[in-house]
Amino acid sequence: MSIHEQLGEDLALYSLGVLQGDERIALEKHLAGCNSCRQELEHLRGDSALLALSASGPQPPERARARLLTAIAHESRSGSVPEKKSAFAWWGALGWAATAAMLLVAAILWQQGKDLRRNIAALQSQSSQSQAELQKAHELVNVLTTPDAAHFTLVAAKAPPQPQGKAIYVRDRGNLIFLANNMPPLPAEKIYELWLIPVNGAPVPAGLFKPDAHGSATVVNPPLPLGMEAKAFAITVEPESGEHMAPSSTPIMVVAGE
Amino acid sequence: MVAALRAGDQGAMTALYDRYSSVVYSVALRVLQDTGAAEDILQEVFLQLWRKPSAFDAARGNLGPWLAVITRNRAIDAVRKRRPEVDIDDVVVSVETDIASETDRSRAVEKIRSALGVMPTPQRSAMELAFFEGLTHMEIAEKTGEPLGTIKTRIRSGLLTLRKSLA
Repeated sequence: MSIHEQLGEDLALYSLGVLQGDERIALEKHLAGCNSCRQELEHLRGDSALLALSASGPQPPERARARLLTAIAHESRSGSVPEKKSAFAWWGALGWAATAAMLLVAAILWQQGKDLRRNIAALQSQSSQSQAELQKAHELVNVLTTPDAAHFTLVAAKAPPQPQGKAIYVRDRGNLIFLANNMPPLPAEKIYELWLIPVNGAPVPAGLFKPDAHGSATVVNPPLPLGMEAKAFAITVEPESGEHMAPSSTPIMVVAGE
Repeated sequence: MVAALRAGDQGAMTALYDRYSSVVYSVALRVLQDTGAAEDILQEVFLQLWRKPSAFDAARGNLGPWLAVITRNRAIDAVRKRRPEVDIDDVVVSVETDIASETDRSRAVEKIRSALGVMPTPQRSAMELAFFEGLTHMEIAEKTGEPLGTIKTRIRSGLLTLRKSLA
């Protein structure tokens, strides 16, 4: 018995697609180099086709024909899968791939540009807003601090003018604006000192000032630690010379926070 | 007609469908035992032929038998819910008998059925279980309780008997 005859039964199983495992691997290895077995395989497939014909009889419904013809009409050959790709086709595919990649990169850059433009616009808007706020603050401070400003304090009729102080304090930023009116004239070599009275601890120096001829004075943003909680502000009269780090006298005015 | 199909002639495709759709549908129905599923395979096989007519090598066989084998393979794949195991390009089917015309086909089917009718039942059964149900010889041996070698021999002998019936 030749090797081909020995493999004949496996070849029959293989032609039906039911040979598995090592037998299949061994047969495929043999088929790769054996023309006569490949021809016999084609004949065995033909034999199986005859077996298939034994099932002939049933006819497909008419709708199946219509379905197929509709599908074919919608799927022109030019839109179908190419049968063989030539080198030119590959270059063409490469061109399409490159075009697609370029379009992708362009889309990403366009999106990034769009994001940048949006960020710039947002920053410009923010900057404009900040400048407007700064301008408003400058105008406010100028009005409050200019020597030419006329200060009017409204009090009850017939009451003598009373010394007044108004402190505007922003704790988290350490900003303070203090306005004083009707302050009594100071003795020689004396100066008023403003104090921040914290919730806990000793008074903190908040600026020195002398009132003008009308008794008005302002203190704008003296150096203060950030975030210090203030329960009140106080004014003392201090020697003009000295360190001014702690009150040396009893406060003449105390204003508590509202 | 196959040449016209390669040229994208829809009329050629229609003619081939009219000639072979009953073969394709019958095989699919025999394997799948379901008319809807058989219709799907019918559609798939002819669309595959339309898209890739070069898969069929007219110089090495007839279209009818080739379609029958392709259909059977695809139907078994569907039953087993698996991807196609064999590329249709690799399937070459060699049959001497021409079954292109309805008359030729009827005559061939008559001979085949006659051969199957006189074939020992175990032999016919082993061959049909392998072809129409896709069972391996081990699965058939397990099902019938017969030795593996016996099943192998019966399948091969059965196929050769069919070949001789049309010689």
